[in-house]
Amino acid sequence: MSEVFEPKIVAFVCTYCTYAGADLAGTSRLKYPSNVRIVRLPCTGRISPMFILKALQKGADGVLVSGCHPGDCHFDHGNYHARRRWTVFNSLLQFAGVPEERVKFSWISAAEGIKFAELIREITEDIRKIGPFEEYHKLIAETGSAAPL
Amino acid sequence: MSIQEHYRSRAKELLSSGTVKMVIGYGTGSTPDRRRPVFITSPDETDRLVLDKACRTNLSGYLLREGLLSDQKQVAVFFNLDGVRSLNILAAESQLETAQVLVLGFRIEGEEVTALQGERAADFKSLIAAAKEQRKSQPPHELQEKLEAMTPKERFSFWEAEFSRCIKCYACRQACPMCWCRRCVVDNNQPQWVNTSSHTLGNLEWNLLRAFHLAGRCVECGNCSRACPADIPLHLLNRRMSDEVQGSFDHYPGMDEAQEPVLASFRKDDPETFIL
Ligand code: SF4
Ligand code: SF4
Repeated sequence: MSEVFEPKIVAFVCTYCTYAGADLAGTSRLKYPSNVRIVRLPCTGRISPMFILKALQKGADGVLVSGCHPGDCHFDHGNYHARRRWTVFNSLLQFAGVPEERVKFSWISAAEGIKFAELIREITEDIRKIGPFEEYHKLIAETGSAAPL
Repeated sequence: MSIQEHYRSRAKELLSSGTVKMVIGYGTGSTPDRRRPVFITSPDETDRLVLDKACRTNLSGYLLREGLLSDQKQVAVFFNLDGVRSLNILAAESQLETAQVLVLGFRIEGEEVTALQGERAADFKSLIAAAKEQRKSQPPHELQEKLEAMTPKERFSFWEAEFSRCIKCYACRQACPMCWCRRCVVDNNQPQWVNTSSHTLGNLEWNLLRAFHLAGRCVECGNCSRACPADIPLHLLNRRMSDEVQGSFDHYPGMDEAQEPVLASFRKDDPETFIL
């Protein structure tokens, strides 16, 4: 394969911290791979695990879920609820055989533009290394619907 | 007196005195080793009740039948300890009041069926606490261990093969006392989260969703696995989820009716090992 594989990554982020962090990365002119598609939500507490499955269903090679650090949630405790859900859902995904590189979770504040840019770089590189999520893409192909992502 | 006789006469007593309006128990099934639920409302019918080691179904789901408990009258139900735990969860989730349910408790150990002391959900507290401790030291499940030792790719193909056989009959959902939602998220079509066709992708999504929604609520009664016509090892997923909530949050579902649902509560110092 001569061309580099460009993974499709979906990031579900909360608007108050990680989205603002991504914004800061942009306004600071930090470079990060354009592989990431950001979906902005009010709070990590609003990020249902269904979103992760939906992203994979639409052909994503990787997913990032990110929000405010514990203690910093705009709604006080949305991220504490999210953390429990992530813990359970993450272990379910691993038990089902979804490689851990493919679904990542992070805390990124509005001040952490650098962390955002670096994390996106890192995740993109990691997924580039393991390649497209072929096992999943095969299942999508069986359904007869083209992965629209 | 055998335990069956003991409970038959107890049921007769409860019905003739008017203490309960119905006894939900087990009757003979379509084959000698099967039991089916029976709903007894007259003291003359209590001879239909059977209690032996084949009585494995968790009957708590029948309590949610629309209107059954709305007249504030009491219903007696045959329960093993898992059943009592599911009763506690249903109460904690505001689906019923335990004061309306009289427990006819039993335990199956090998060939032997014994009676459990107590008639109200709260009477079984110490037994449930002991079961929680036991769950911690329970030896690991063989197939589960094998799976955990595999590479993600191997695990994925294991489940792919299992889920490819799912026919989306939703018997697992119908059989589960904890699946009490009037409308399940899989039946939603605006938006449609899960593929409703029974291709492997849709089946995988459905089964992950089911396992997730039961995390911290499943009492491992086995109703779902027994109901599945495709013999998919659903108990493995349930078990893995139970391990997780107990290991990470010290949560054993169904301790009592005041227990907070594990995914609707949190502690500020909950563990986090994987968050970047
Ligand atoms: S998921 Fe299965 S084992 Fe768990 S409570 Fe429901 S029916 Fe019982
Ligand atoms: S009972 Fe088995 S076949 Fe039916 S929907 Fe559930 S997992 Fe699929």
